[in-house]
Amino acid sequence: MSGRAAVLLWLVIAASPVLADDVRQHGEYLFRAAGCATCHTDEKNHGVPLAGGRALKTSFGTFYTPNITPDPDTGIGRWSEADFIRALREGISPAGEHYYPAFPYTSYTRLTDTDQHAIWVYLSSRKPVQQANKPHELPWYLRSRASLGIWKKMFLSTGAFQSQPDRSAAWNRGAYLVNAVAHCCECHTPRNFLGGFKESRQFAGNSEGVEGTAVSNITPDKKTGIGKWSETDLVEYLETGATPDGDYAGDIMAEVIDNSLAQLTKEDRRAIAAYVMSLPPLENTIHKRTNKKPKPKKEEYE
Amino acid sequence: MKAVKTRCLLSIIPVITILVPLVLHAAEPEEIIKYRQNTMKAIGGHTAAAGAIVQGKVDYKNQLADHVRALQALTADIPGLFPKDSDFGDTKAKDEVWSNRAEFEKRAKSAKTNVAAFAKAVQGGNPQTIVASFKEVGESCKACHKDFRKKDD
Repeated sequence: MSGRAAVLLWLVIAASPVLADDVRQHGEYLFRAAGCATCHTDEKNHGVPLAGGRALKTSFGTFYTPNITPDPDTGIGRWSEADFIRALREGISPAGEHYYPAFPYTSYTRLTDTDQHAIWVYLSSRKPVQQANKPHELPWYLRSRASLGIWKKMFLSTGAFQSQPDRSAAWNRGAYLVNAVAHCCECHTPRNFLGGFKESRQFAGNSEGVEGTAVSNITPDKKTGIGKWSETDLVEYLETGATPDGDYAGDIMAEVIDNSLAQLTKEDRRAIAAYVMSLPPLENTIHKRTNKKPKPKKEEYE
Repeated sequence: MKAVKTRCLLSIIPVITILVPLVLHAAEPEEIIKYRQNTMKAIGGHTAAAGAIVQGKVDYKNQLADHVRALQALTADIPGLFPKDSDFGDTKAKDEVWSNRAEFEKRAKSAKTNVAAFAKAVQGGNPQTIVASFKEVGESCKACHKDFRKKDD
């Protein structure tokens, strides 16, 4: 063996585990930013991380998230990387079935090839957990997945995020994190009666959000959005959950902050804020959903 | 002597007239809900104000102790703001406030403990401890809102 070849061989051997580690770490960062564990873990019922089973109540029915640990029987242990990438990019299962868009492939399709690969590497390194998936609870007319093909033709455009050269690097990073990774629009953009996004109302909030919540307008509209916040206010909110008036995020948004946004680098939080504050302000008042329980009957002559 | 006694008794009368309606009429649930929302807003106001001082955005250091005292008073009995039968209508409180009462009370207590630690830190005057303990106060707000308040943000 010549000296040069030996050096080259040594480089390959020495460098590859380091590179693999780097890819896995990069994958873990994206995995957190994308909030995979938030939906794929039934935390309320002390479920095992990534083994699925969390109920997502939507106006279309209740979805139960699947097991995404590498368990061969109940998880994704028999998947190839190509299967995984097709699921993210096109919303299609290894068996060729369409996924319901409760799985936010409408956003994950915007991930770059490198990032999808990194997430796959990280996911594959997790411990397999055997836990069977629970079937979704849907009305009869939604039980067939065939109609999802039509839905996708109407509402899904596949393909990785394209950066806009006339915008700054930070803005593009923010746009990528918001639209491809953290999939903010899945909750914050109102949907039409077919469950497609109202494209002209991007990020204007949703009074009929997931799990019966009211999701706020995050466009910089002064009256109904976050137009009165400064960019620094937003960066701080993404880290601590504190709003400028001293309120603190709750419910699902608190989960998103704890599991994802607070774990990003400061630069990434700044990039998100820069992008969000650059959105066109849209006026949209969100009707807070309050308990519908009737007032308890009062005894007369109390 | 007698005059003093009479004056004492007379001075009690207005107190009694004020207290009597409070004792005889249980508060309307709607009023309780409004009261607790206003109290929560006050807690938020003092938290944001204290935060601005702690993070050095404003220079009102002399007022920090006032905000801390207010926070201690207002967080002394959070479960008391959520009595039975105040779980309907215009409230974002989740049913779990009442159905998982033990956990709810535990969270409220942790908020109280964290505010006490913050107060101690402010008294101690070490900026690092103040910042860290303030963060913990915010964490307890978020932790409780996460499980016990319906989303609206």
